[in-house]
Amino acid sequence: MHPILVLVRKDFALFLRDKASISLTFIVPFALIYLFGQIYHVNSSDPGPSGIPVAVVNQSDNPAAARLVEALRAEKTFKVLTKFVNPDKTTRPLAEGDLRALMHADKFRFALVIPKDVIRPEDIGIHLRTYSNPRNAVEAETVEGILQKTIFSKVPELLGQSLQARARSYLGDARLDRFNTSIASAVAGAFGGDEADIKAHMADGELGFRRLDTAGASAPVAAQDSGDALSRIVKIDNVQVEGAGIKSPLATLLVGGWAMQFLLFAVTASATALFREKEHGIFQRVLSAPVTRGDILWSKFLYGICLGLVQLGVLFLAGHVLFGIEIGSQAGLLAVVCVFAAAACTSFGMLIAAVSPTPESARGLSTFVILLMCAVGGAWFPVSFMPEFIQRFSRLTLVYWSMEGFSQVLWARATLAELLPTLGWLSLMTAVVMGFSVWRFNRGRIFD
Amino acid sequence: MTAPLLSANGVVKRFGPLTALDGVSLDIAPGEFFGLLGPNGAGKSTFMSLVAGLRPPDGGTLTVAGAGVAAGSASARQALGLVPQHIALYEDLSAEANLRIFGELYGLRGAKLGERVDHALDAVQLADRRKDLVKTFSGGMQRRLNLAAALLHSPKLLLCDEPTVGVDPQSRNAIFDYLQELNRGGLTIIYSTHYMEEATRLCSRIGIIDHGKILALGTIEELLARLPFEEEVRFPSTAETASLAQELAANGEVSTVDGVHRFRPKPGYPMSSFYGLTEGHSLPARLFTSQRPTLEALFLQLTGRVLRE
Repeated sequence: MHPILVLVRKDFALFLRDKASISLTFIVPFALIYLFGQIYHVNSSDPGPSGIPVAVVNQSDNPAAARLVEALRAEKTFKVLTKFVNPDKTTRPLAEGDLRALMHADKFRFALVIPKDVIRPEDIGIHLRTYSNPRNAVEAETVEGILQKTIFSKVPELLGQSLQARARSYLGDARLDRFNTSIASAVAGAFGGDEADIKAHMADGELGFRRLDTAGASAPVAAQDSGDALSRIVKIDNVQVEGAGIKSPLATLLVGGWAMQFLLFAVTASATALFREKEHGIFQRVLSAPVTRGDILWSKFLYGICLGLVQLGVLFLAGHVLFGIEIGSQAGLLAVVCVFAAAACTSFGMLIAAVSPTPESARGLSTFVILLMCAVGGAWFPVSFMPEFIQRFSRLTLVYWSMEGFSQVLWARATLAELLPTLGWLSLMTAVVMGFSVWRFNRGRIFD
Repeated sequence: MTAPLLSANGVVKRFGPLTALDGVSLDIAPGEFFGLLGPNGAGKSTFMSLVAGLRPPDGGTLTVAGAGVAAGSASARQALGLVPQHIALYEDLSAEANLRIFGELYGLRGAKLGERVDHALDAVQLADRRKDLVKTFSGGMQRRLNLAAALLHSPKLLLCDEPTVGVDPQSRNAIFDYLQELNRGGLTIIYSTHYMEEATRLCSRIGIIDHGKILALGTIEELLARLPFEEEVRFPSTAETASLAQELAANGEVSTVDGVHRFRPKPGYPMSSFYGLTEGHSLPARLFTSQRPTLEALFLQLTGRVLRE
């Protein structure tokens, strides 16, 4: 065999023996391709995100308003919430007064209120209110667009009612009835149809404006024009519940997400340095001194926290300088979240070192898990864009809770008390993972 | 009688089905230079790791300076220094930084630590390289620093686990000289090796270990006195010496190692008879070398194998 072929065969033989390389070559990209495919709904007949929680408060008794709620329910992007769950698990309809508190608690980030006076007799148009917590700009823009599209699909009906109401206020009931009868008679005479039926439709506001629906496939130019027109007719007052004064919501996500990813790589590399210290026989020397295995492990843990605190601090400071992330009075709480996030990351690094038999396998495993955890944990894109089964998995990742903490501090300007649940989850994860890692280390051979 | 500094009593250590140490008992007095001689896999490093408190024994007791090692006693650990087989240093740090770290682990601080580090670097002739990274050192320099790191806290007992593996002759001699100087200064040393020459040169008392058991224990003279002969004659194993070897077997023990016959005569066998036999076979005198028996011969006697197997 030619020497080149012999050497090629040798490389394949070595590759097949290197589980880390196989993992990085096939498993990691496959997992990420699958994940991205799920997020972008590749091969789906109905692309786009799904199941984003949107609260809807319908204060109007107008049947068209109820139909708007139904239209929102039918939109797969949204998971429409209309009930408030009491502590005793009983429910009642959501009220507008509930929205701020629930949004602050991150039960949902978008809400639509259809007020009692959605149609006002004094002017032509439709009045709606939205509440939002646009902590993730990409998510907010997507939700806003789809919400608008759904509302506009019901505008003609509501607008017809608005015109009828306006006419009623000027003409009175009797004259409006006569006006509608005349118009219905003329339409029936010119185009056919039942006069009474046409009159009933007119009274319900169905004036044939459906052709202006922006969702219509025909006449795209007209649809564009009608969209602009509808924007002027549909008056939506938006109330930004969180982060109203924050300049750089995207920067918080960007810096926090990438900082977490590279912190995980850094502390994992630090933890897997245990293998090198073992190979060099350093543990023999250290453990023959008045030092215990626990001292070694907890020193790694403490080092990881310090490294993480410094790294996150530097990166958020860079975010402040480069993108205007507003830290200011939240610096102390940000440091608290950074400590808890760094502790969780370090415990993860220790886990990788504890369960891996070799440094090579530790590298492969850590790369796989870190990228996967960052992807599903919301470090790269909003968790709400992912399928629901992945969203459930997201909450099991330390990246998710760390990102939550960063957003709470820098976006929602949360207090320490409000942060406690997030810090609690991070602490719980750290304790469980670190406890298991120490248990594994004490039963493994790394200190032999 | 002086209390032993190290006392091992029926020490057993198992790794799964393998019994690495099988009832090892020995006492080492203060000031001794004790050699643990045995082939690779004999149990030397396991014994050292147990004495250093790195692993607990599965049976028996081990005490250093009166304190039980297995319990992880701080006083026992403070009393001993370990020179591991590996170069157990942080190679990306300087020599001085390494010594400071290991000194601090033993509780040294401030001026005292600085003084000990200076002294250790001087002693191993690395004072002028103190700021250099360990990875820039030669193998011999790293071995010397490896030794210095174990001495910072002035231990009573120094455990040297094959500390000259891969060391050039010059550095090996420097290490030997330094260890002997330390021993003359009163430091008790346990030195494990599979090199008979090292044990013979350095150690005042030797334990021969194989398959986890101490086979013989004593001074070199005491050990050699256990051999049933005072002289060993070696000659090449060839066709022309084959019949001589057969005849000699009736008068002593003949073994063959690496193409060389070794004849160890029975007590009282006159060497004049041996030379008479060689003349009878018309073999030239240059084929034969006679020497005093060595520890290797004793090991062969005890185990039937040569030491390096």
